[in-house]
Amino acid sequence: MAFLEINNVSKTFGKTTAVKDFNLKVEKGELVSFLGPSGCGKTTTLRMVAGFEVPSSGEIIIDGKDVTYEPPNRRPVGMVFQSYALFPNMNVAANIGFGLKIAKRSREEINQRVNEMLELIHMPGYGNRYPHQLSGGQQQRVALARALAMHPEVLLLDEPLSALDAKIRVSLRGEIRSIQRELGITTVYVTHDQEEALSISDRVVVMNNAQIEQIGPPFEIYNFPQTEFVAQFVGTLNAVNAEVVDPKAKILKFEGQQLQTAFSLDKLHSGDKVMIAIRPERLSFASQEKKANILKGKVQNITFLGAVVRIQIGIDSLNFYMDTFNNPYLALPKIGEDVEITCSAEAVLALKERKESQG
Amino acid sequence: MVMDAKPDSHRTTGGAPSARPPKSRINWSWLGVVPFFAFAIMFLILPSLSIFVRSFEGPEGQFTLDNIFAIFHGRDFINAYRTSLTISLITAVSGGIFGFLLAYSVILGGLPSVARSFLLTFSGVASNFAGVPLAFAFVATIGNAGLVTRIIENILNVDIHARGFTIYSIWGLSIVYMYFQFPLMVLIMAPALDGLRREWREACENLGGTELHYWRYVALPILMPTLLGTMILLFGNAFGAYATAYAFSGSFINLITIVIGAQIQGDVLYNPGLGNALALGMIVIMSLSMVGYLTLQRRAARWLR
Ligand SMILES: Nc1ncnc2c1ncn2[C@@H]1O[C@H](COP(=O)(O)OP(=O)(O)OP(=O)(O)O)[C@@H](O)[C@H]1O
Ligand SMILES: [Mg+2]
Repeated sequence: MAFLEINNVSKTFGKTTAVKDFNLKVEKGELVSFLGPSGCGKTTTLRMVAGFEVPSSGEIIIDGKDVTYEPPNRRPVGMVFQSYALFPNMNVAANIGFGLKIAKRSREEINQRVNEMLELIHMPGYGNRYPHQLSGGQQQRVALARALAMHPEVLLLDEPLSALDAKIRVSLRGEIRSIQRELGITTVYVTHDQEEALSISDRVVVMNNAQIEQIGPPFEIYNFPQTEFVAQFVGTLNAVNAEVVDPKAKILKFEGQQLQTAFSLDKLHSGDKVMIAIRPERLSFASQEKKANILKGKVQNITFLGAVVRIQIGIDSLNFYMDTFNNPYLALPKIGEDVEITCSAEAVLALKERKESQG
Repeated sequence: MVMDAKPDSHRTTGGAPSARPPKSRINWSWLGVVPFFAFAIMFLILPSLSIFVRSFEGPEGQFTLDNIFAIFHGRDFINAYRTSLTISLITAVSGGIFGFLLAYSVILGGLPSVARSFLLTFSGVASNFAGVPLAFAFVATIGNAGLVTRIIENILNVDIHARGFTIYSIWGLSIVYMYFQFPLMVLIMAPALDGLRREWREACENLGGTELHYWRYVALPILMPTLLGTMILLFGNAFGAYATAYAFSGSFINLITIVIGAQIQGDVLYNPGLGNALALGMIVIMSLSMVGYLTLQRRAARWLR
């Protein structure tokens, strides 16, 4: 049985449905992130796990125990808030030891645990500082230590890095991940940053409009998005509405050009519409030998992104992005030049329309 | 490893002296506070000095300690100080407590925002409603022949003044003072309570704390500097009040301010030297309470520095 189970949970606030039919099983020691646009219900779901909101229906189970209606202070859950939420009137040591003090542990035990935690977050010697004397990144590390000091069974983080600047964000997420691995603690991590979700998670739950769109490991989410939303939200994508030409041979067409996909079109008929998607990095210029899956277009723009060069190619009225790795001897076409681009049939993803209810 | 995990003391110490010392420029920013200091000197420092000097002046302008001795000589003056202190303490503490509770229910009690802004506006007005109109309003409602007194008498057949209760007493005057003390507390505490962040309560709960833990370890300590600051303000507010009390009871209740007034402008008791000495006593008491306040404040606001 999974360690954390969220079964059929829905939550409504008056007329707004914040979360609908949410189903998720998180294994012990797993880090699962909730990824989705603002207002899609990530925080609400997390707050239900923490006990700050009660589900309108469904149940939440931690380690086999139904905690759906348990108050927050009786759940084995540690929470890290977006805005740090350190107690400003207590120094770092008192913040970290707060839960243990409430639980009436001995002073030696508290001191020992506080020191352990300070080591864990690489901030020994900071015990006497007050929160306002720390940087944002340091405050968030202390908040993490405070949440972990109580040995919670589940750790919840609600956009813990979104108030920090880009560099700290990247280094701190690595640190959070390594601490999480070291402790083997079951973790739910909320973010609206797809790169963050992909880089630290064992599995990603992509949410939209109060519902789950797709659950899967980062690799799968990125390479095999199942819905248009996931494909669009995670990474850059060329998405077009195509028409099925031959479902058996998996041939599609758009703007008068034909393309083959490796994905099954069995349920479709000739003439049906289907959304297809191609990642920019899967496209390349067609070479002399390889003449399959060719799209003809005109170079519109070339953008240098560092490691990657992004070429915008107009195919009739549509714009396609093609990414190629930068190297100093790259032979780039000129703007306005006619080019032929290609991709493998596996790179042409056929997406499902968003289904209304998803199991 | 993250760079900023290291103590950042190295940033401030051991830096090589910069080759070029920063250009010394005159800092003009203090100019902005000049009007304030001018005001403070003219209307606060100079009058206090004058009070100080004239406390030691006899009727012919000679140096004397008679005025100071006179304070301790008769019971009257000591009693007047005591009465003033009692009323100030009663109204500061109870105004503080009730005002805090009202502010709490206004801010955190989920009151609709219309009611909330109405209450705050009303508090703003009421906290400045003092002096003759306030005194008259009270006399006209619960005085011996007040409206409410009469209504209670007529309907319930109870004379609220029969059992020794009179509004012309320390308690009566305290009630009158509460009318502006209490809204002042509401006015100052409301934004402070607004400043309590939801995440603090939730973090406390998440760590196993109850509502009581939250108030004891988090909310009250955070509010304490403001609470103490407001209480001392209420104390000073009541201690220095004169017009309300005078309009309310004439010289029936011997507040120190009323006694001083009588010494300075009275026909019978005219003795400005003694008046100044009594005022000096007030300044001393206020200074002592400020020292007490600052000591407490330093402890309560340790975490702010
Ligand atoms: N206490 C509440 N009362 C009413 N509506 C709420 C409440 N909390 C959340 N909602 C609504 O529920 C929906 C989901 O909100 P939620 O905070 O879970 O989104 P989110 O995914 O965390 O978004 P963000 O990325 O902006 O934090 C939103 O439409 C929000 O307005
Ligand atoms: Mg949120």
